[in-house]
Amino acid sequence: MGLFTALDISASALAAERQRSEIASSNLANVDTTRSSSGSGPYRRKEVVLQTAGTSFSSLLGASGSSGSSSAAVPVGGVELTRVVEDTSAAIRRYEPGHPDADKDGYVSYPSINPAQEMVDLMGSVRSYQLNATAVNASKQMIQQSIDLLKS
Amino acid sequence: MAIGSVQSQLESYLSLTMQRQTVLASNMANVDTPGYKTKDIDFQSEMARALAAPDGSTSEASPHAVTGLMERPDGNNVDIDRESVLMAETQLQYQLGTQLLKGNFHTLLAAINGGS
Repeated sequence: MGLFTALDISASALAAERQRSEIASSNLANVDTTRSSSGSGPYRRKEVVLQTAGTSFSSLLGASGSSGSSSAAVPVGGVELTRVVEDTSAAIRRYEPGHPDADKDGYVSYPSINPAQEMVDLMGSVRSYQLNATAVNASKQMIQQSIDLLKS
Repeated sequence: MAIGSVQSQLESYLSLTMQRQTVLASNMANVDTPGYKTKDIDFQSEMARALAAPDGSTSEASPHAVTGLMERPDGNNVDIDRESVLMAETQLQYQLGTQLLKGNFHTLLAAINGGS
């Protein structure tokens, strides 16, 4: 374990937060999508599940980062985006008889996405991204100081 | 006191600071993980333990959960301000360690060159 582990941990958070903002953007983009990629019903709002890599307490510093139950890319103590789940809440139904996706009663199912909620989520992930980018810089400067020991 | 002893003490200090940086980075990485609890290293006791250990033996500090932080509804209790301040502190501590080590090497060099 060394300072590069700290860099890897921060990098795992950068990756996870980037994916989170991608998902939020995807939800915003598909706010009016009436056909999902699977072909049945409207687009379903997606949500990410974040989890600490190597959740066992003693393994945080005990393992050298390569072992453990987590995937090789994410060091112990980092964060992993384990899966993307679909929101199962009921679709919003609007009466639009002329719409090609209207049912027999003339109602069209729209995804139940609240743009304000997605924007707040997006802002949250951007801030977390910035926080971890700052942490990367801090670790980088520390590594640089170690390297500077060699030249005197 | 031999100059090598100071160097090994500084090495323990740098190693511990580095480990703390890793723990803080981990806390920051998990700022959005539901149920995550803030961890930290007790610097004082770990430093005492490292100094008591025989020379050349490297030990890993064991992080513990921090109590007294406000928990969010999702069970996460990471305080960004606390982590940021501690990370800045750790960064400066590390700088102090490297600068002291550098000074130590300069002293050694002066002795080798006979003070000239």
